[in-house]
Amino acid sequence: MRDVKLKPTHQQQEEEDEEENLSSSSLSVKSTPEIEKKYVHRVYDAIAPHFSSTRYAKWPRVAAFLESLPPGSVILDAGCGNGKYLGLNPNCFFIGCDISDPLIRICSEKGQEVLVADAVNLPYRDGFGDAAISIAVLHHLSTEERRKSAVEELVRVVKPGGFVLITVWAAEQEDKTLLTKWTPLSPKYVEEWVGPGSPMNSPRMRNNPCFGLESIPESDVSVKEQKEDEKSLESIPESDESSTREGMKMMNQQEYFVPWHLPYHRAEVSGASASALASGLAKKDDRKGAVVYKRYYHVFSEGELERLASGVGNAMIVDRFYDKSNWCIVLQKEGLNKDH
Amino acid sequence: MRLIVHNMLTCNIKGVVNKFPLRIEAEKVIKKEVDFNPDFLRHMLAKIEWKALVDGARSMGYTELPDQLESEESYSFLKKFHHALLELHLEEGSLVCQETGRKFPVEKGVPNMLLHEDEV
Repeated sequence: MRDVKLKPTHQQQEEEDEEENLSSSSLSVKSTPEIEKKYVHRVYDAIAPHFSSTRYAKWPRVAAFLESLPPGSVILDAGCGNGKYLGLNPNCFFIGCDISDPLIRICSEKGQEVLVADAVNLPYRDGFGDAAISIAVLHHLSTEERRKSAVEELVRVVKPGGFVLITVWAAEQEDKTLLTKWTPLSPKYVEEWVGPGSPMNSPRMRNNPCFGLESIPESDVSVKEQKEDEKSLESIPESDESSTREGMKMMNQQEYFVPWHLPYHRAEVSGASASALASGLAKKDDRKGAVVYKRYYHVFSEGELERLASGVGNAMIVDRFYDKSNWCIVLQKEGLNKDH
Repeated sequence: MRLIVHNMLTCNIKGVVNKFPLRIEAEKVIKKEVDFNPDFLRHMLAKIEWKALVDGARSMGYTELPDQLESEESYSFLKKFHHALLELHLEEGSLVCQETGRKFPVEKGVPNMLLHEDEV
């Protein structure tokens, strides 16, 4: 017998009942779903040094946020990756965490104060930070509950009045050809890997005709962000694949595999690729001389990040913007009653 | 890992109430000098759980901190606070949950706070 909650519409109540039935056997929101273990954690662990070498350009909007913070601020970077932003403001004290040990090692070697931890379950006591950032992290979380949990964690760990900057990849990419280079995930795939309770399994999504897409084979063309290292590896998609893509509606499609091409000479350095290939997690592309990994993304649609953040009771949205194909938001934690 | 970070870390195992502070088992501690910044130290005084800092420093071999926070923030007090907070590095050891005894390893200065499946 469920408690009856007040709901604006009858239809929303029905959908909520359905989702609750589906999620009754699901794992805790703090447990890592299989799709993230295989297509986020293991991938970044395997590609860490190569990934880090391509991650050096400081995004001006993030730099501006960090530079605006008062000297002496303790800044928490959840999902810090290779530590690109740690220490960016030399007057502040940065503490970074990431779920990837190899990436954290890279930060540590630069002398940064870092630890291995899960952004959905930060091992930090409340209110210690003056500010927090989450740059290109939440789009790797495969359920809405986990994404919301990550936002709640960011707010929890900053002081009252503290600011939080969150950026995520947008479904609305500036370079529309980029979307055609990603592999959209079919509902069957999501069901298998994300599990019950996911919004992907809600009646709304199942009845959506655009969700009849079959998983499209990966294109041979590199993702835009790898251009720096892979100019020589670009090629044109096969004509039958691209015409198929053109014929399909990409609306409402937010779940993707985005390829990462790890050049062979890089792959051999870490033994991870041998096991990734053996287990089918990655495949070889001899023509490009690279091991191709798939990274799971839930890209955000316009307004989605705001809706997610609005659900966090003790924070206010103080800024929101779209920049370089990312949706971005700045939150301020409530409870400030005097100058800090 | 320095004590400024240790002073924030908690055990997130499901159901644990006494999650802070974590007891330090130090195997290797090194000292690295850092520039003295009194403004930053004063800012940190408002955040720091003092007893956790004192106990943590003791575990790392530094016993000069007063048991109680001094109301007068003298230069010598701030220098001791500075040393404990920022100059002691736990390179190898464990952070131990006081309630469950679970050990979170610290290797090459990096704590690993990830929980196992059954702890979440």
